[in-house]
Amino acid sequence: MIDSLCDRAQEDNIAVAGLYCDFLSQQDQITTNIMGAILKQLVSRGGIPDHLREAFQKGKKEFGGRAPRLADLMGMLKIVIASLPQVFICLDALDECLQKYVSELLESLRDIVQESPRTRIFLTGRPHVRGDVQRYFSKAVVIPISSNPDDIRNYVEMRLDRDSEPEAMSNDLRVDIVRVILEKISNVSVKAFGTPTPSMMCTYQRLGVDSS
Amino acid sequence: MRWLSPLEPNNRHQGVRTERFDGVGNWLLETTEFREWRYSEGGADKAVLFCSGNPGVGKTYLR
Repeated sequence: MIDSLCDRAQEDNIAVAGLYCDFLSQQDQITTNIMGAILKQLVSRGGIPDHLREAFQKGKKEFGGRAPRLADLMGMLKIVIASLPQVFICLDALDECLQKYVSELLESLRDIVQESPRTRIFLTGRPHVRGDVQRYFSKAVVIPISSNPDDIRNYVEMRLDRDSEPEAMSNDLRVDIVRVILEKISNVSVKAFGTPTPSMMCTYQRLGVDSS
Repeated sequence: MRWLSPLEPNNRHQGVRTERFDGVGNWLLETTEFREWRYSEGGADKAVLFCSGNPGVGKTYLR
């Protein structure tokens, strides 16, 4: 999503910022840091605005370098967003953020939208955070995502094309592999993009290597 | 800049970008829901698009 938006950012005169939440870095992914990261991306486009520079200089002198609080960051972020034509904020895997920060995060985003109604927000997450999203954005448009058979077929075909032992492959086998993988995926959800999952590798090995 | 946040989302983005298989998730860009969200002239009502799905269906890799 970030790439699709960025590709047209210049033509459409929009600014894009985003962040991937991750179980592994939950402790760092507090609302303050997330909002800070959004702000950082938005200001890195142009020069650092004066109000931000002043806040930093002020913070540096106090208490041996005080980090900004959420309220400070929100203030700065609102000024920066208001100064841009339109801002898109993308947050991936809201559910991987610690639950106690999800509400705070959504509240902060709602704050931004109220201040700058042109702002667009793209969120992804498991179905259970839908309630949280709708509590803050009752009119949020929800698109259910499931694994797309065409995407998976294309991906498997690409992997088969790159197989290091093409001589072990026959047309029938190839058709079989694609069919079995698609059948399996229609029953379970597997991560078919990026690195193949163990279940995909098993299917692949069983059909591809054992019969060769 | 580190003062604002220690997080560096660009690193992760680069990883996703590199691993993404071309064409994955393009269907989303064609939906009415996406277009309305993307090109609406604003209005706080239409601000949020939420893609919801189980682990591993490819939410992160939507283009």
